[in-house]
Amino acid sequence: MGEVELSCLAYVKMYLHACLFPRCSVNGLLLSSSPAGGAVCVTDCVPLLHTHLPLAPITQLALTQVDVWCAQTQQRIVGYYQANACVSDSSPTPCALKIADKIAEQCNNAVLLMIDGGKMSPDYRVPPIVMYERKDTRWTLKDKHTIMLRQWEETRDIASQLLDSGDHSLLVDFDSHLDDITRDWTNQKLNAKIAELASPANGNV
Amino acid sequence: MFDYCRACRLMVTCGDTTRCSKGSAETNHTQFNDVKPVLPRAMASVSEMYDVTWEEMRDKLRKWREDNHRNSEQIVDVGEELINEHASKLGDDIWIIYEQVMIAALDCSRDDLAWTCLQELKRQFPGSQRVKRLAGMRLEALEKYEDASKQYDSILQDDPTNTAARKRKISILKAQGKSAEAIRELNEYLEQFVGDQEAWHELSELYINEHDYGKAAFCLEELMMTNPHNHLYCEQYAEVKYTQGGLENLELSRKYFAQALKLNNRNMRALFGLYMSASHIAACPKVNATVKKANVKYAAWATNQINRAYQLAGRGTKENKCSVKAVEEMLESMQITMS
Repeated sequence: MGEVELSCLAYVKMYLHACLFPRCSVNGLLLSSSPAGGAVCVTDCVPLLHTHLPLAPITQLALTQVDVWCAQTQQRIVGYYQANACVSDSSPTPCALKIADKIAEQCNNAVLLMIDGGKMSPDYRVPPIVMYERKDTRWTLKDKHTIMLRQWEETRDIASQLLDSGDHSLLVDFDSHLDDITRDWTNQKLNAKIAELASPANGNV
Repeated sequence: MFDYCRACRLMVTCGDTTRCSKGSAETNHTQFNDVKPVLPRAMASVSEMYDVTWEEMRDKLRKWREDNHRNSEQIVDVGEELINEHASKLGDDIWIIYEQVMIAALDCSRDDLAWTCLQELKRQFPGSQRVKRLAGMRLEALEKYEDASKQYDSILQDDPTNTAARKRKISILKAQGKSAEAIRELNEYLEQFVGDQEAWHELSELYINEHDYGKAAFCLEELMMTNPHNHLYCEQYAEVKYTQGGLENLELSRKYFAQALKLNNRNMRALFGLYMSASHIAACPKVNATVKKANVKYAAWATNQINRAYQLAGRGTKENKCSVKAVEEMLESMQITMS
């Protein structure tokens, strides 16, 4: 199928989300601010849950709220990511497939991204992600060559830097937001920090 | 001769050629001889950074112990410093601190620290079952599940009622991804130790992950019976019922979200849950007019409470304006679909 581009911002936040909750399965939504048609450009992501991923109410709530926010900010939900607690198994769970199916109803180029926990250490030279796309009614592995991460080294370094400095604790997922609603799940603060690190002075992404 | 791999911090024999889990697939453990000595960064101590005394650090550790917090990185930072700098002042407290720090160290892949703590405990309490369990946990952390299992089996041989060892064996099954077996063993365990809250909760989590919501609900019912004031169990039960779906389950879920709110009126999940379950019931074509009216009222009340909560939260802070706006619009849009 088509090409998928993953931005620095989306990758870094997904990675930090997985690092923030190393003992839990985490998931989130992939967003795009580009118009539909052509390659899928994942420009941002919203981390959702780190507890009880298969349970419906909070997932439904989160999907609805993110939908509304996307409409307000000219973005679309184009995919779903998940990192399993069990590092040795990075295959999509039934709940991942269910949510991805729902997203695919609205966006036919939707992608399902699994983070491979076993390959997340900084020495790995390739992004620790596995992508799936919808062919007919099944989610099949996407050809690695159609997945693009511009400036991978810089992205990876930004992620490591934020992890080392402890800034990953700035990340707010929907679960954390429900624990304390003054915390912002759109992560404006963290976005700004990432943008700063990725600025032209440090190497454009 | 032993040393620590610089990458994964595991203890390895010099000349060990097993693969390092932290490096890429091609590397072996990085041992002393391979790496150029790097000057350690001058790291500020915890007491310097936070301006705390050793007594305060000790008290913090106690609080975390009592509350059963899993803030392992913090425990390692504070505990390591306490052990290294103030061991003599701690008196007999030091042994329980060694245990706490060791477990936290395993959680953070700090096998060096865990090993040190374990050695101290072994020396002080030779032959202790409790220390044996800790040794087993270290083997688990090193993914040496067979050896860990044998360790726990030897504890159980001497003391078949040792619940800690039994639960560790179940944890091994969970870590290996053997959910069905873990569930089976945990059920057997609970037949004998019916009052073990932690075990009931663990079982409910396992069932949720297997999408066996009926059985998860049963576990949560046990927990609610023995902990009637715990709003979290009510709310979790409500979420499971909601997930099961169907009118009857939705009504139950609404009742339990309401109960959770009665126990803690700041539980946002329960508030949203009440809103959503009431809205769905009201929108269901099967319900009669009275039920619909009642649920519309519940949903309206919940909307009100949610709006109030977000107004309060949004006051003064610029940063979460986005989330507040999203909620407002969402509630508005759902109102329209309901009427």
